Amino acid sequence: MSRRAKENTLKRTNSSETLKVVFKRVDEDKLDPKSPGKWSVRLNKINEDDTKLLNSIENIQTSDINQETPKKRSESTYTPRRSRILNKIDEEQNSEVSPSKRTRRTSILVIENNADPCTPTIKGIPARRKSILKTPTVQKTNTPRRSIQFRENVEECGYVKKSAKDKLAIDDEEDTSDIALTRKRLHVAAVPNSLPCREKEYMEIYSFLEASLTDKIGGCIYVSGVPGTGKTATTTAVIRALKAESEKGRINKFDFVEINGMRTTEPRKAYVEIHRQLTGKTVTAEQAYNLLDKRFSTQTNRRGNNLTILLVDELDILCNKRQDVVYNLLNWPNMSSSHLIVVTIANTMDLPERILMGKVTSRLGLTRLTFQPYSHKQLQEIVLSRLSGLDCFNNDAIQLVARKVAALSGDARRALDICRRSSEIAETEAKEENKKAMVSMLHVQKALNEMISCTKVKAVKACSKFEKYFLQAVCMEVERTGIEEVTFYGVYRQMKTVTALHGFPLPTTEKALGISTRLGASRLIISEHARKDVHQKILLNISADDFYYATQVNTEE
Amino acid sequence: MDFNEAREFLKKRLLKDKTTLYGFEEEKEQIKNLFVRTAKHSESNSAILIGPKKSGKSTLLNSVLFDLVQDNVFVSNTLVIYLNGLIHIDDRLALKSTTVQMNLEKEVEGKTFSSFSENLSFLLSCLKAGKDLQRLIFIIDEIDLFCTHHNQTLLYNLFDVAQSAQTPICVLGITSRLDVIELLEKRVKSRFSHRQIFMLPDSENLQGFANIFRSLLLLPSTKESNIISQKFVNIPQKVYKQYKIPFLRKHFDPKEFSFSKKYINEWNKMIEQLTSKKKVLNVLEILYSTNASLGPLKRFLYEILSTDEAKINENDISKTVEHLYFEDDKVKLINGLSVLEICLLISIKHHSEIYDNDPFNFEIILTRYNKFSFKSSTMQSIDREVVLKAFENLKYQEFIAAIGHESKMQKEYQMHKLLILPDHIERALQKYHNLPTEIDHWSKSCII
Repeated sequence: MSRRAKENTLKRTNSSETLKVVFKRVDEDKLDPKSPGKWSVRLNKINEDDTKLLNSIENIQTSDINQETPKKRSESTYTPRRSRILNKIDEEQNSEVSPSKRTRRTSILVIENNADPCTPTIKGIPARRKSILKTPTVQKTNTPRRSIQFRENVEECGYVKKSAKDKLAIDDEEDTSDIALTRKRLHVAAVPNSLPCREKEYMEIYSFLEASLTDKIGGCIYVSGVPGTGKTATTTAVIRALKAESEKGRINKFDFVEINGMRTTEPRKAYVEIHRQLTGKTVTAEQAYNLLDKRFSTQTNRRGNNLTILLVDELDILCNKRQDVVYNLLNWPNMSSSHLIVVTIANTMDLPERILMGKVTSRLGLTRLTFQPYSHKQLQEIVLSRLSGLDCFNNDAIQLVARKVAALSGDARRALDICRRSSEIAETEAKEENKKAMVSMLHVQKALNEMISCTKVKAVKACSKFEKYFLQAVCMEVERTGIEEVTFYGVYRQMKTVTALHGFPLPTTEKALGISTRLGASRLIISEHARKDVHQKILLNISADDFYYATQVNTEE
Repeated sequence: MDFNEAREFLKKRLLKDKTTLYGFEEEKEQIKNLFVRTAKHSESNSAILIGPKKSGKSTLLNSVLFDLVQDNVFVSNTLVIYLNGLIHIDDRLALKSTTVQMNLEKEVEGKTFSSFSENLSFLLSCLKAGKDLQRLIFIIDEIDLFCTHHNQTLLYNLFDVAQSAQTPICVLGITSRLDVIELLEKRVKSRFSHRQIFMLPDSENLQGFANIFRSLLLLPSTKESNIISQKFVNIPQKVYKQYKIPFLRKHFDPKEFSFSKKYINEWNKMIEQLTSKKKVLNVLEILYSTNASLGPLKRFLYEILSTDEAKINENDISKTVEHLYFEDDKVKLINGLSVLEICLLISIKHHSEIYDNDPFNFEIILTRYNKFSFKSSTMQSIDREVVLKAFENLKYQEFIAAIGHESKMQKEYQMHKLLILPDHIERALQKYHNLPTEIDHWSKSCII
């Protein structure tokens, strides 16, 4: 049934006011997908603005308060996007699934506010669970790659439960303290079910895919954004939700195929991977291409072939000089009976215009979605949502991390890693002092210094005396000639004066060459091979100011 | 003789002992924590250990692993895989080596994989030891060389596995480049946890350096050597079979030597006396100022211990330093040249002085040499071919080197440049045996 149809039924049943039905799962500790679970249900008034919520309330076939079955839909709504043919198909579909013909009752409504947390039953038939899809907090299925193997105490927050076979039999040391839990939750791999601060993008991808599935036409969407902004995570969450919906029969069934450009050795191997995921058989690239071509481009009787959603991660790796793979992948959805929907993910906004050829760009289409880097407020929210229920982290510390990372890159992984590192530092400190661990600004400062640090100054400070003299000689020679690239000969001449000034004997050329090689290996200077002997060219890789600062601080201490 | 045995013991220890770490306690704790958390709490991590060459990074790793393999729990559920950027120059080779180290060659034998990541995930899925997932620790030496591989696929896949909680793995990279993070591609960089552990030597602590010098020369008491060799006995057999960690191949067992208690005390007393002498401290300061790491120190000690005498005295030590650090090899080489070659070197030196280090060819040098030899009374005339041969000899000894492609010109007209400093020639001439005085005078001034 289409969304609009359901919306209409909803509107019609209650003449005076539209009702909002909110389902909330109460027993979050027993996350067994098969059990009906305990639900609390509320009814509230809605405004006209809540259309999004209405849209997301899928198959609530509401009935009257007296629980009458709703009437067949007589008028057809005109959705501007769809053609009339599709409308007719919709009508037929709607007529098929009118509740009066159904054998099983599928809807429930509990009318009281904050009802008893038990599944309501109608006429003795146990009702099925419904879910609200805006924030899919109730999805408990595992996606193959991202299963999480954390212990039970992490699941309190409603994280995805690990599958039984992945359970670790070796009992880890009982470390259930708050700080240990904080550390575990901050691991990048502990992806929550609903990604905070990405609701808008989630809804856009969801509506695009759902529309394509419902209309049974192929399409293409291009998602871009710098690394660490949640593109793959959001897309896989959408797919999970759609899969759950299709299992319940509310959306057409589809196959999901995922390929990643960085994981394939060469672009043509992508065909092999797609074919393997669709059929389970491994064939050569040539064969795979032919089979896929047949499958997606010919107008044969589909024989119940499902729609296919293809997720192409790291699209730019697949774009080689010929661009034949990416052309084919984007050509198939555009054919008339292909039933292929392609979601591409890449890093740059202008990849289609810059790298792809014109014909490929036009097949990619104009459905683009850009994930902006996170702002500091969003990063704060992300970290706080992971730490909900725990109070080991000082809020100011979180803000510091969020602001720092937002200024640098807006990468969520970075923020989580820094927070995790600071909680580790706090944990070791607390263990030594034997008190409860609280992550404060000091720990965060320490972690920031480690992970976003100017290492060159530290490295210069750690150089031996002659290495420092050598660097000083290089700086002096650069100043003398005015050119950044100097030869070892000139540097050695300057070293004579420098060592004489400090009262040390001049090292031999071999030792000086050894020093220059060592500094080159650490990339404090960039030097040619020492085989060039006296004519070795040297470039200073740190700024002269950094060097003088590093040596000055030493003498002050 | 006792002192011979003592010498042998100390030299063997200097060469083979890869597991004793001096200093860097905090860094050792950090890395140990990482490994323990992967092994016991199945938490995935990634880190890079950065430090200048010869600062003790591999020794640190070896000492951490040495401590951890004593623990049976660690050994039973963890597998350590060792990759080296200098050995595994391609991602395919690295994966092959990984397969061998995981003992999964038979499972992989008939299969072809369409991609690197498929191969890797197959290997990871095979690793379920019974009902548990086996933890992996990847140690990647010279990780900056892996960054030059195509697409950085190995690094991408390993960091991806570390961040997506498939199998608990710990990836530890070791490198000497400070800017290794800039070498990573942006996707790989985002998946890496930016955990950098620095092993920067302390360059202001001469006393600490002297302490290490002393502890490297002391003989251990029987109790101490018992403790160390017991540790080696404790390592389970499985480790020797499976782990390809370098220190397992050659390790130092103190139990092979035995000394009388009296001799140990005598030797240690001598070492203590030695380290308090001022001369020795001066020598140590010279070593420390050139290079604060332990590698050169060990080499120096090896040289000291390579004598026949029963005791080490400070004069020996000063002499060794002189020999290693202040004698110029180039000067010694020049002293071995014939007089004709010396004359050619002097003409090259004069040419460089007048024309400010311009390149030269054989004809220019021959002209200048002839000017001198026609005027001099002692020089007999020498054939042109002989002079050319002398010039070529200079080239073979790498005092001069050709600029540009060699085969395109006649060898007399090929341009060369000087690879030694004029200073070297001057110093060498001061020590040259029986140098004719005319040549000596000529070398001092280029106007003649």
